[in-house]
Amino acid sequence: MKINLHQQESFERRHHGQTAQDLQEMLQTVGVDTLDELIGQTVPATIRLSKPLDLPAPQSESDFLNNFKMIARQNRIAQSYIGMGYYDTIVPNVILRNILENPAWYTAYTPYQAEIAQGRLEMLLNFQTAVIDLTGMEIANASLLDEATAAAEAMTMLHSQRPSTKKNAETFFVSDRCHPQTIDLIYTRATPLNINVVVGDHAKVDLTDGSIFGVLVQYPATDGEVIDYTDFIAAAHELNIFVAVAADLLSLTLLKAPGEMGADVVVGSAQRFGVPMGYGGPHAAFFATKDAFKRHIPGRIIGVSIDAEGNRALRMALQTREQHIRREKATSNICTAQVLLSVMAAAYAVYHGPEGLKSIATKIHGLTKAFADAVAAMGFEVLTQTYFDTITVQIGNVENLRDEAQKRGINLRYNANGTVGVSFDEVKSFGDLIALLDLFATATGDGLEMSVPSEVEFAFPKTSLASRLI
Amino acid sequence: MLRYLKSLESKDLSLVHSMISLGSCTMKLNATAEMIPVTWPEFGKIHPFAPLNQTNGYQLLFKHLNEWLCEITGFAAMSLQPNSGAQGEYAGLMTIRAYHESRGDTHRNVALIPSSAHGTNPASAVMAGMKVVVTKCDERGNIDVADLKAKAEQYRDQLSCLMVTYPSTHGVFEESIIEICALIHSHGGQVYMDGANMNAQVGLTSPATIGADVCHLNLHKTFCIPHGGGGPGMGPIGVAAHLVPFLPGHVQHPLNTQVMENTGAVSAAPYGSASILTISFAYIAMMGAEGLTNATKMAILNANYIKQRLAGDGQFEILYTGTNGRCAHEMIVDCRPFKAVGIEAEDLAKRLMDYGFHAPTLSFPVAGTLMIEPTESESKAELDRFCDASKHPCRNSRN
Repeated sequence: MKINLHQQESFERRHHGQTAQDLQEMLQTVGVDTLDELIGQTVPATIRLSKPLDLPAPQSESDFLNNFKMIARQNRIAQSYIGMGYYDTIVPNVILRNILENPAWYTAYTPYQAEIAQGRLEMLLNFQTAVIDLTGMEIANASLLDEATAAAEAMTMLHSQRPSTKKNAETFFVSDRCHPQTIDLIYTRATPLNINVVVGDHAKVDLTDGSIFGVLVQYPATDGEVIDYTDFIAAAHELNIFVAVAADLLSLTLLKAPGEMGADVVVGSAQRFGVPMGYGGPHAAFFATKDAFKRHIPGRIIGVSIDAEGNRALRMALQTREQHIRREKATSNICTAQVLLSVMAAAYAVYHGPEGLKSIATKIHGLTKAFADAVAAMGFEVLTQTYFDTITVQIGNVENLRDEAQKRGINLRYNANGTVGVSFDEVKSFGDLIALLDLFATATGDGLEMSVPSEVEFAFPKTSLASRLI
Repeated sequence: MLRYLKSLESKDLSLVHSMISLGSCTMKLNATAEMIPVTWPEFGKIHPFAPLNQTNGYQLLFKHLNEWLCEITGFAAMSLQPNSGAQGEYAGLMTIRAYHESRGDTHRNVALIPSSAHGTNPASAVMAGMKVVVTKCDERGNIDVADLKAKAEQYRDQLSCLMVTYPSTHGVFEESIIEICALIHSHGGQVYMDGANMNAQVGLTSPATIGADVCHLNLHKTFCIPHGGGGPGMGPIGVAAHLVPFLPGHVQHPLNTQVMENTGAVSAAPYGSASILTISFAYIAMMGAEGLTNATKMAILNANYIKQRLAGDGQFEILYTGTNGRCAHEMIVDCRPFKAVGIEAEDLAKRLMDYGFHAPTLSFPVAGTLMIEPTESESKAELDRFCDASKHPCRNSRN
């Protein structure tokens, strides 16, 4: 007997359910002699492809993983200080192994059949509860696709809910301190709906302009500034203008909640709650609002109900808002959301607990404060007054810094106006801080000649703190 | 923590327990080998706006996946930005909108949508600024060509596009599809194909072959990204050559060349949920052309096997079939005859849970029915178990 030395393990054999014998029995049941006979009876000849697909030869599992690792290695992992809504994070091992890498969680379907979905419905309820708690809002959904689309959903929901005095108002004002990708996407989504988008400084906008129905601001702003929007929101509400806030969930463990400021909608990303950046996704966005808007929220909402025997049971609620029932009158087209990732984020919140989350946020803030103090001492101007995890720094010679940063595998945010943004996250250590300062020191032409304290004070005023911390 | 996670996990049903025969959802095998790269740090720890020279691995992944998906769909280019099927619909419609506008046809804003379409179709059309005109289906479940013709003519000056699912949501390869697409084109419209049922096409036919101009692919259906309990997904779109300039752009695109000037960002990140593209890449790389084509054939066989087992003895009626009495990769089982003995479709769905199965799609696209899609990955033994379970409660009740 000859042995083929090129023989390899077939993946296809494992992907398909049938053995050769099963196949014959099934063909017989169906009433055909061959599989191709069945296909000939099923797919009209007029639309059949004239030639086979042209794709590379199939690889075995082990060959594929070896080859793909070579491709993966062509990505270079850098220390990321870019921020802009994406942060490095530590996936707790218990979540990595038992949720993200666990097919019992990742192969489930959307929980339309509540009886066999109580587990993930509970974790989604945890997600909603954490979001409601941190944003200070009354109701939250069980995830949207990303922060930018969540902000666009806020715009369209508020547009549909304009009070009678604002029926002809078609302008949505977007703070120029929102993340640029959010602004880009809002333009896309506004245009076909004939919503006029104006981007500018929220502190200078003329709210008496009757054409404005809503505003979007970022908290903390994309440049890191922590702005208390309480007075701004009150002024907007006086003039029947809604305000949506795009917020960083982790910062809200320390900062005054947008709900306390009077926000109508709060959106944002839960990525930094233990979900890898993944070059953009996936991760869960959240959408929280006032109870008054509950019938107009986009996406799925998990509600607490009772079963036939009177026991507490969870199910998807208020489904009459959704596209599968309302079709062209739905509040949004969203169907697939980010369940697995909101489950991970909720599990992260459960794993760390309120104190643990605050502790993570506090350390991040401390590193940011120490960095700000040190670069200021080096003679750079720190442009951010009040910050949580992000500061913007004025640099003389950005190109030098950029070249050196590239060499050292450090990614910063380089703004078009020549300033540099630096955002800290939970992965960064005191050692990373020193390495970063050393990088900035080279831009001064000197080496790092300062001692960095291992303790710092909170940098933001008490009025910016969450009320539960005061 | 571990016990809490396990206690929740144990309350739920997933593919680790049984087949999930949800029609139009394509719950196929998500092989472990496909999943392994997702959690490699080389893919996970990359910021979406990292410099291009740090993401060569991702760029290679995108390049190959684009080429392969173009080969499979017959299209000229893909956009990997939309991160769900509905987002893909929106991106595709915006691409069509920009195309019409570039030709000065700003008045073309009517989307024709058959009554059997997924709910996301009309919802996406409204978000893209279109007016939805619903067209009828005939008694065989096919698009009512006469009605479509009438409406296409009625709106010929405003016609933007037709949104069509193929094979239809009724689980049939409509013979008239080429005629339908030609009709829309003759009135200046574009054809958007909903790719939810792409699992019945790969290697046998393609969106470009049937005459579509743009389609989305649910990578979380046809190309093995697991459903995650309701996400994540990926919904890249493929387009014919004339639509390429109008694909979505992105302000933070690493090449920093807004090749496309007419449609802005549709996702926060330039490549949507980039890290899970590794799963679809793995599936195609390990299956190859023949394997993918065989998968489509096996999916069709499995569906027709279930159809024969359920309806062969007359116990169940299958609502729609093709001209040769075959279904595509899924079928609709009519439960309305059981109403006479007090059984609703929902009762049947819930009863299947008692046997450890997830219910098929309930009352879509026809009320009082179950839509079953087995996929190619289920073994004959599992299909038999499912058929036996489905037939059992009804046999009891009929007796």
